[in-house]
Amino acid sequence: MLQATKLKKSYGGTEALKGLDMTVEGGDIYCLLGANGAGKTTTISLFLNFIRPDGGTAAVGGLDVAEQPLETKKLLAYIPEQVMLYGNLTALENLRYFSRLGGRDYSQGEYRGFLRRAGLQDGAAGRRVKTYSKGMRQKVGLAVALAKQAKALLLDEPTAGLDPKASNEFSELLLKLKADGAAILMATHDLFRAKETGTRIGIMKEGRLVDELSAGEVSHADLEKIYLQHMHVGGRYA
Amino acid sequence: MKRIIISHETRQLFRSGAFRALLLLLAGAVAFAAWSGQRSIDRQIEGANAAAAFEDGHRNKMRADTEKYQARVAAEGGEYQFASARHGAGEGPPQGTNAGVVGSATAKYLRLPPTGLAPFSVGQSDIQLSYVPVSMNPAIHITRDNELENPVNLMTGSFDIAFVVIFLLPIFILAISYDLLSSEKERGTLAMVLAHPISLKALMVSKIAARAGVLFAAVLALGLAALLAVGDGLGSFDTWARFGLWAAATLLYALFWFALSVLVNVHGGNSAANGIALAGTWLALVVVVPTLAGLLATTLYPAPSRMELTTAARQAQTEAESAYMARLSEYYYDHLEFVPEGDERAMDFLTVAMANRNAIDKAVRPLHDEFQSQLNRQESLVRRFQFISPAIMMQLALNEISGTSADRYEHFLNQAFDFRDEWSDFFTVRFLRRAPLKPSDYDQFPTFEYQEEPFATVLTRLLPSLAGMLALLGGAILIPFAGLRRYPVATS
Repeated sequence: MLQATKLKKSYGGTEALKGLDMTVEGGDIYCLLGANGAGKTTTISLFLNFIRPDGGTAAVGGLDVAEQPLETKKLLAYIPEQVMLYGNLTALENLRYFSRLGGRDYSQGEYRGFLRRAGLQDGAAGRRVKTYSKGMRQKVGLAVALAKQAKALLLDEPTAGLDPKASNEFSELLLKLKADGAAILMATHDLFRAKETGTRIGIMKEGRLVDELSAGEVSHADLEKIYLQHMHVGGRYA
Repeated sequence: MKRIIISHETRQLFRSGAFRALLLLLAGAVAFAAWSGQRSIDRQIEGANAAAAFEDGHRNKMRADTEKYQARVAAEGGEYQFASARHGAGEGPPQGTNAGVVGSATAKYLRLPPTGLAPFSVGQSDIQLSYVPVSMNPAIHITRDNELENPVNLMTGSFDIAFVVIFLLPIFILAISYDLLSSEKERGTLAMVLAHPISLKALMVSKIAARAGVLFAAVLALGLAALLAVGDGLGSFDTWARFGLWAAATLLYALFWFALSVLVNVHGGNSAANGIALAGTWLALVVVVPTLAGLLATTLYPAPSRMELTTAARQAQTEAESAYMARLSEYYYDHLEFVPEGDERAMDFLTVAMANRNAIDKAVRPLHDEFQSQLNRQESLVRRFQFISPAIMMQLALNEISGTSADRYEHFLNQAFDFRDEWSDFFTVRFLRRAPLKPSDYDQFPTFEYQEEPFATVLTRLLPSLAGMLALLGGAILIPFAGLRRYPVATS
């Protein structure tokens, strides 16, 4: 569903991505680990066509993102670290706007249903979102993804700064989406969450994918050890 | 897709208290401007009425005297005679029988009728009077009352709808669009929106369309309300055609400012930087350039002072008076048919005065022509300069549309000069023939009816300003949309 082939990107002479190859299939939760500046956000931005690649391709559902940006965006949902909404509109109004932008419109009852499925308490749906906490905004972001019936989700550290309960609820929802067959790519710093929810784990360093693991085959302790080894100069095989 | 964004943006706008306050402010400004524009047109009309009533009263009194005199002649017998200027008061025929006295001691006020849209753009009508006196006096007297050197009027202009459109409307437009993209980017919603199948260009166009739609609907509604409140001739095609042109010019001008906002926004700067850049541009285009253009025009082509003109006229008069005997002979030499019968050297004060007037007219005419042509040169320089400032283009266009342009005024003055000749000839001939004016002759006095220019002429003069704005708008649209491809949606 999501495929990067020899994907390259540099910013003003600094190579942020040095020929990335990766694939995320439907039903996968692929967790990207790596230090700040490793190229995780750049990868997600390339799948969204927010930036143009300097080499290689990013493809969604077999379509080249750079060539068919609008077609590929129909398949995608994006949840950034901070889901930002229109503060003077209610959650329902925000959801309806984004959903219609994605080409789908539903009844009020259905919109409420999406918000409920995303875990937002019923009373909050009609309130203006400027009063919302970060956790609540992330849930609206998930509801947007649900309403859009996205085939692929791009998540950029979506649980950073959430309390453990909210973070757990978020992971539960991801598992449901995965069960529905969505391909999920999530950049995160949370090793525990990656091991718990992820099916596959990729470790990025300085613009390269240096390791790929199957979440089921490593223990928490091993994952942490491997990750830290990579982060030290020279990496795992030095 | 665009429709969804437009309705979303419109709702966002109306939810913002600042926008609602801005609309109220605009409504207040238009209401005050309409009132103030109408006041200055009303003042002109009142002035014209008062002046005409005074002069007409004077003439009616003379006519009444001739009626009494006619009745007396009919009762007592005798001849209905011409009043010599030299006889004493209370004796003989009244002065109203003397065409020279009637034609020079009373003036006929000619009016340039305001168009239905005149209160929208008062133009320079408070310094170029829309009513001028015509008598047998020299032609220069026609514009004598025009105050061309009133610096306060020239500096401040008047608070009319043209002022609101030219100065304030751009500020409102920039206030609602300076952060068109930058605010979405700073708020973080830009990435959320662009993760959906919508291009940046479509987003930009929709955002502008929503703002332009709301603002233009408001301006049109306010303009219509102003027209209904202070406009005139609401039943005539002319008024509505002018209002249509006003709306079209205002739309063009407004779109230019929106396009400028887009231009600044695609550079990817933050909202504060955009705001400063746009405020600076407003200052340059609306305040600095027009002022410099005006300054340049008056420096390159300084108009001779009206004071000089008056002094020259006085001097010519003194010279004329000192040589009046010679001039009288010269005048009679030219017009032998008017030499009074029986007395070749008959001297009449009014004949001398008439000869003097001729002399003064001749002496002052070159200076007056120079004065006018300097003003025309200034005007044409400003016309050429208009293409670097939409504010100048808009001012010229709105003056033209409201019928307060310098060209329409000149059209009127030319008719006034022609009428002055007609008026003067009418009385001169009767005076020199010593033909006594009878009461019935008062109905034969020449009358003036302003001949309006054909609408096509107005359109032709309007064309350069509108075309210039269109070109400027085209440039302001094309450049930014070409630059959109490089807009950084995500940073780092």
